[in-house]
Amino acid sequence: MDIKKNKYYKLWIKDAWPYITGAVLLSLFQIVTLATTGNPWGVSGILANWGAWLYETAGGSVDKWYYFSSEGARRTLENGFMNHGGSLRNLGIIIGALAATLLSSGFKFKKIKSWKQIIAATLGGLLMGYGARIGFGCNIGALFSGIASLSLSGWVYALFLFLGAIIGSKLLVKYFM
Amino acid sequence: MKEVELDCLGEACPIPLVKAENKLKEMEIGDVLIVQIDHSCAMKNVPEWARKEGHNVEIEEIDDGEWEIIIEKVK
Repeated sequence: MDIKKNKYYKLWIKDAWPYITGAVLLSLFQIVTLATTGNPWGVSGILANWGAWLYETAGGSVDKWYYFSSEGARRTLENGFMNHGGSLRNLGIIIGALAATLLSSGFKFKKIKSWKQIIAATLGGLLMGYGARIGFGCNIGALFSGIASLSLSGWVYALFLFLGAIIGSKLLVKYFM
Repeated sequence: MKEVELDCLGEACPIPLVKAENKLKEMEIGDVLIVQIDHSCAMKNVPEWARKEGHNVEIEEIDDGEWEIIIEKVK
């Protein structure tokens, strides 16, 4: 039987899941994460550790950096990637996302259309990364986990996320349409 | 009856949607707009918008990660 014609292949693997399915699963898994690790789910803080490990591999040192000066942060860096649960979880997200695109035959290397795209993506990435660190979290750690643990800061984050999205859409239409 | 192709390959959301909206506005009833996309979320929001507006919509898988959304303007 041709798997491409299978009803369940289409429903579970090929077609995108409805947003509500994704929302319910994300909620369930963030509860599991909080219950088993004692820490709320976060993504971008872990990337700062990846940056530090990369920098150290290249011969740099973050010993004197204030960001990594706490005992906990130092221990995490010393224990390395394979002993850091959050890093493995982030790796899982990347592998899972890749698997999902491959299984649905949706993988494609996309053309870069213009220099504008490169500049906008680089600027956007830098701003998001910088913002996530001085804001103590990204849309997962600060927004999703914040609201899920009934913290007011999550709602404040949401308000400014919307403001940022409005400004971002205006810029997008102005420079990319 | 005209057929117009709109190349949105390599464009991320929501650009394909906004481009399709603008293009369809210039077109006549009965014309067909073919939006070429390779960003999977445009596969959701472009047909959703077009169906809500009451147009006829079909999605065709062209290649791995590449689709054509065919919109017939009905009003």
